[in-house]
Amino acid sequence: MSHGVYLGDTPVRRPGVSTNPLMRKIQRACKMTLPEPDIALNLDVADYINEKQGATAHDAATTIVKLINSRDTHTAVFALSLLDVLVKNCGYPIHLQISRKDFLNELVKRFPEHPPMRYSKVQRLVLTAIEEWYQTISKHSPYKDDLTYIRDMRRLLKYKGYVLPKIQAEDLAVMRPTDQLKSVSEIQKEQEIAQAAKLEELIRSGKADDLREANKLMKVMAGFKEDNMVNARQSINVELNKLKRKADLLNEMLDTSTESDLHNNETIEELYSALKTSQPKFQKIIEEEHEDDDLVQSLLKFNDAVNQIIEKYNLLKIGNKEAAERIHPTHLNDIEVSQSQAGGALANEINLIDFGDDMGATSPSPTPNTVNSTTNNTDPLVDLLGDLNIDSTSNSITGNTLSSLQIGGGISLDSTAPASSNSTAPFPASSADPFDLLGDFSYTSKSTIAAPVASAPDNTASITDLTQTMKTINVTKVNVVKSSNMKIDFDLSRVNNSTLKVKSLFSNSSPNRITDFVFSMAVPKIFTLRLEPQSSSILEAFSNEGVFQNAWVDNAIQENLQKKPLKIKWKASYKINGTPAEETAVFQLPVL
Amino acid sequence: MGSSISKTLGKLFGSREMKILMLGLDNAGKTTILYKLKLNKIKTSTPTVGFNVETVSYKNVKFNMWDVGGQERLRPLWRHYFPATTALIFVIDSSDTERLNEAKEELYSIISEKEMENVVLLVWANKQDLKNAMKPQEVSDFLQLSENLKNQLWCVIGSNALSGQGLLEGLSWISNNTSKK
Repeated sequence: MSHGVYLGDTPVRRPGVSTNPLMRKIQRACKMTLPEPDIALNLDVADYINEKQGATAHDAATTIVKLINSRDTHTAVFALSLLDVLVKNCGYPIHLQISRKDFLNELVKRFPEHPPMRYSKVQRLVLTAIEEWYQTISKHSPYKDDLTYIRDMRRLLKYKGYVLPKIQAEDLAVMRPTDQLKSVSEIQKEQEIAQAAKLEELIRSGKADDLREANKLMKVMAGFKEDNMVNARQSINVELNKLKRKADLLNEMLDTSTESDLHNNETIEELYSALKTSQPKFQKIIEEEHEDDDLVQSLLKFNDAVNQIIEKYNLLKIGNKEAAERIHPTHLNDIEVSQSQAGGALANEINLIDFGDDMGATSPSPTPNTVNSTTNNTDPLVDLLGDLNIDSTSNSITGNTLSSLQIGGGISLDSTAPASSNSTAPFPASSADPFDLLGDFSYTSKSTIAAPVASAPDNTASITDLTQTMKTINVTKVNVVKSSNMKIDFDLSRVNNSTLKVKSLFSNSSPNRITDFVFSMAVPKIFTLRLEPQSSSILEAFSNEGVFQNAWVDNAIQENLQKKPLKIKWKASYKINGTPAEETAVFQLPVL
Repeated sequence: MGSSISKTLGKLFGSREMKILMLGLDNAGKTTILYKLKLNKIKTSTPTVGFNVETVSYKNVKFNMWDVGGQERLRPLWRHYFPATTALIFVIDSSDTERLNEAKEELYSIISEKEMENVVLLVWANKQDLKNAMKPQEVSDFLQLSENLKNQLWCVIGSNALSGQGLLEGLSWISNNTSKK
């Protein structure tokens, strides 16, 4: 078998070149023929690790530390620069690796027992790296408890007489934790990556203690995702509170500063950019958490305030001090008060709502109105819900809408006496209010009756109406959507003055079977939607109106709809040929 | 250093150590098999939340057997156990014909992973003591391994965790088919 030259099944490769893509990338980045550390090659390794996860961080760390100890200084320097890039770009998985005892011991393998007169270049770089890690990740990482060996190694080196270099503040800044607002899904993703990395490390080590911990961790990862969810929520609240404090501080500083102050005040700049960069995140969080009314409401209000502050900043910057002084982001003051009252994140949210109700009790004060006329073009509601096509008549959230939005909200402050008086008041007023669409489209699942009916003031009437709905009169058929795969029609009929019946009819216009069909609808919050389960989740090929679903919209008073038509947001998700598809839009009902 | 010498010596005398990963749907009998092999006892086990690991020595080979819970929510975590695996044992409840397809899908999703492309695959068609159990051959046909696995060694063996039938046979198949590496 082995004699002669023949081509086997395995591809022909130069000996010594690894077949593992990670090893190849590392070798390429540390090749001694390079003139200097190649940042692109280094980032390539980082990207690869971030993409593949799994054992890559471990493999990379062990390979790199070998290269750091190689006889060739060039290679060692390149390896250290690669490691630096990985530490800064790959997050926890690599942090965990560099803080392993084995790794750190290996890293200082070529350090003599007593410090030499002069450090070699590699030694100097290793000391720098360790000091940097100590100053950053082992102090500030959210998982710093997993990284204690870095501190121990630093202590050991100091004890042996090694002098650790001073690190420039700029170098440290790169690895400081960013106080950035993240959405729940982002936080969860980070948690998952970190937990997976830790689990694999524990499994790899295989010591009894580690295995026990791995078992625990696995339970957390598999069973208590909700736990993670709660943690994610909490950390959002913490970040939000930080931002609120920043907003407040900036507002105060703007009050006392003049145009010239503005141009060379770093703190103001920093606060401003922190607020500005967090705004897109608000939107993302709202999208993800649209079911959590309270969070969304407080976010919207906070965003409102942030917009005002930013506007104020911009006005000041162009020297329009007068206009700027007129802006008093009222929310902020109240936020401050509520914080001093109750501290914690959740309490703060409750108080935000409380604040909304207070506003509802008094009529909207003139101050917010002037504010809004100046901030017209940056209207936060239009920003956030732009696709809903709100006619921006330069009115911000007035007290009435606020309280009407919070009806049925989970937090119980609403149930006090003043709140109940509010809950009846908003409805006549709401028709003229362009912002009721803001009552975020809370998706309700197809199978249950949507939205607590109790919040509708005429609920007693509507339940009796329900029995009469079967005798429908004047059915209007409208087409909602006609896509390449399917068609949705509504049969609309008015049951009585306040209730509309919407029968959705689904047709499959493709030659393929549609399965797992789920249709969901949402209406602005002042309306109440009641849904029956859809008749089937499968649409046979070319079936015309093969599946239907009945729904009723309460509080759809005819006169009000004439002024402001009812919009329904719908989403249809399904599988066609096994591939998932989704269609969604907002549909405006004709007035009946 | 010391451990590498003992490993080399171990090789000379034919004693080896390998990581075996035992997976399969919930209620297939993985944990029962593990403790039957380890303790030769039937340990009534509750569904495994997490994993068990035991070392089983057989014919000069130390098998580090990892038994990872098979409940649906644990399955996404299986991949964390893949690195450094020599052999995969997939345990199937031969009497649970309704979930056979689910088992097949899980099996294929494991062996299609890059990290698992060099492992040898042993399928234990477990619960052969039950009347309605499918025969190992039927299970094997259903899994269509001969069509789909070209470069991998595989084998389907009928087993009964209660009596221990087929278990040692499986381990010796693994040890015979991994010795060259």
